[in-house]
Amino acid sequence: MRSAAITVFLKELTDAFRDRRTALMVLIASIITGPITLVLVAQFVSGLEEKASILKVRISGQENAPALVNFLQRSDVEIEPAPKDYEALVREGRLDAVIVVPPDFDSRWLTGEGAKVEIFYDDSRTDAGPAIRQAERLLRAFNRETGMLRLVARGVSPDLVEPVKVDHVNTATPRQKGAFLLFLIPMFAILSPLLGGMTLAIDSTAGERERGSLEPLLANPVPIVQLVVGKWLAAWTFASLVAVLTLGGFVIAASLYAGKRLAALMAFGGPEFLAFVAVVVPFAAMTSALQMLICTYGRSYREAQTYVSYLATVVSFVPVIVLFSGMKDSLWQLAVPVLAQQVVLGRVIRGDVIAPVDWLMPSLMAFLLAAVFVGLVSRLLRDERIVFGRA
Amino acid sequence: MIEVVDLAKRFPVKGERGKFVDAVRQVTFTAPDGAITGLLGPNGAGKTTTLRMIATLVEPTHGSARTDGFDGHLKPAEVRARMGVLSDARGLYGRLTARENIAYYGALRGLPADRVQVMIGQLAEWLDMGPMLDRRTDGFSQGERMKVAIARALVHDPANVVLDEPTNGLDVMTTRKLREVVRHLREAGKCVLFSSHIMQEVSALCDSIVIVARGRVVASGTAEELLASSGRDNLEDAFVHLSGETESA
Repeated sequence: MRSAAITVFLKELTDAFRDRRTALMVLIASIITGPITLVLVAQFVSGLEEKASILKVRISGQENAPALVNFLQRSDVEIEPAPKDYEALVREGRLDAVIVVPPDFDSRWLTGEGAKVEIFYDDSRTDAGPAIRQAERLLRAFNRETGMLRLVARGVSPDLVEPVKVDHVNTATPRQKGAFLLFLIPMFAILSPLLGGMTLAIDSTAGERERGSLEPLLANPVPIVQLVVGKWLAAWTFASLVAVLTLGGFVIAASLYAGKRLAALMAFGGPEFLAFVAVVVPFAAMTSALQMLICTYGRSYREAQTYVSYLATVVSFVPVIVLFSGMKDSLWQLAVPVLAQQVVLGRVIRGDVIAPVDWLMPSLMAFLLAAVFVGLVSRLLRDERIVFGRA
Repeated sequence: MIEVVDLAKRFPVKGERGKFVDAVRQVTFTAPDGAITGLLGPNGAGKTTTLRMIATLVEPTHGSARTDGFDGHLKPAEVRARMGVLSDARGLYGRLTARENIAYYGALRGLPADRVQVMIGQLAEWLDMGPMLDRRTDGFSQGERMKVAIARALVHDPANVVLDEPTNGLDVMTTRKLREVVRHLREAGKCVLFSSHIMQEVSALCDSIVIVARGRVVASGTAEELLASSGRDNLEDAFVHLSGETESA
């Protein structure tokens, strides 16, 4: 004789897999959108970098500043004359930045009267940022070179005006630079079990009652806990499956960038995938149990659906809070569901070392809560008011 | 055999503290094996709540319901194992076939898979549902759904069968089929408890009738005994007369 929990588990899975419309929705919503978002963001970021890496400036009135043009040419900068209507083009967002040289530039520069140039830009457009900073940097470098040459010509050591020399040593590994971008993957990893377990959690609780199949089910000589455990196992399996597929999608998306400039940014391969699965599967045990608990209160499928989407909203706020609060890592966070997963997955992404406690504590917590929620659902289903009184 | 003694159920009124509704006030009757017992009463008389207490789905406030000697309150698992219930709610799983719906309950009751398939074959023959067994139930008519729900309740060949308004919403042909099945169950020596608010239904089928009104048993006996005790010459008048008595009381 098979345990009733296994019977319920197998039935719920069969039932769920036959629901093609929902299956398709889950597939599109979770498995495809995640990687697509990642690719789009990656394109955007690489677009910025490309813009910045090609040294190119647009100048209006370059004939007024032969010395500046000479400097730029020596620095391997491509000079492009700005079109006549550059003002309008910048406003429309079709040009990033234009260096404007006034007609009296050369005469003032030669006499050392303080020549002026303008950088014309619109900094409300974030993607114009690199071009603006580049123009600034080039002008500053030109300034410094000119200034130094003039000091040397007067017999003054250039070190006097530049007492501190600044060299940049950036310790961020390419991986850590990519963490900004890869903050997306933990977010999807945390939300995907919620999305995946949703349908089954609703269908096996509020749906069962709405359909009128709960009462006959409870009339079977099976302890209610076994029924609930079977349903929970099915919801957990589905949630984990969707999470694993979503993460698999990210592995594929990241592999598209292998060997390219962004490869370092997109380090999400086998080891990261396994670490993520190890964290997300226990987490899914908790989320599906919680979803079932919430849905048991729902009088109808639709009501339960509303409750569950509130839960998803609350959960999706956590990564945002972590991102903007500048929270420092500490042990207590590992005991808080969602936050713990966010923190640990973030470490995996950054390539930090994961200690056993980083996995054990959030997972034990998740299983503990799952057990509590399953117990509560069983208790609710023993309550006449829940089973009959609210339909 | 189902024995009900002094059964009562009081529900709290939702949203009003300290207020109660007495769904069942005092119900006593015995449904013997090898007989069809009809529970007759107008809507809201407390039939469904009584049957739910017998099926151990609702805890009685007072009194007891015993099935084959097992008290529903003390030994619910024993009672459930010996009972097949067609409850007021009889939803099926639309994405599963009729066969899978029935087999699910067989498996939940711990029957071996081959035994379940034999039972399904037998029930399909009784209920005339052979061709629809392997179709998904979401396209089924009400009559077809009812057949599946009945087969599901009988898959473990229970000694006691409780049917809550089984003919509700069925056409004449299906109703006839159902009566046939109920008689079949009696011949097999089962205890059949059948509820309805339709006089003709009960008089056509039942060996003994228990009339319930406002949560109380107002009369019981065979159709002839009821006619005699009410002094009327047809059962419908007797029913109206008997259930009306408590309303004026």
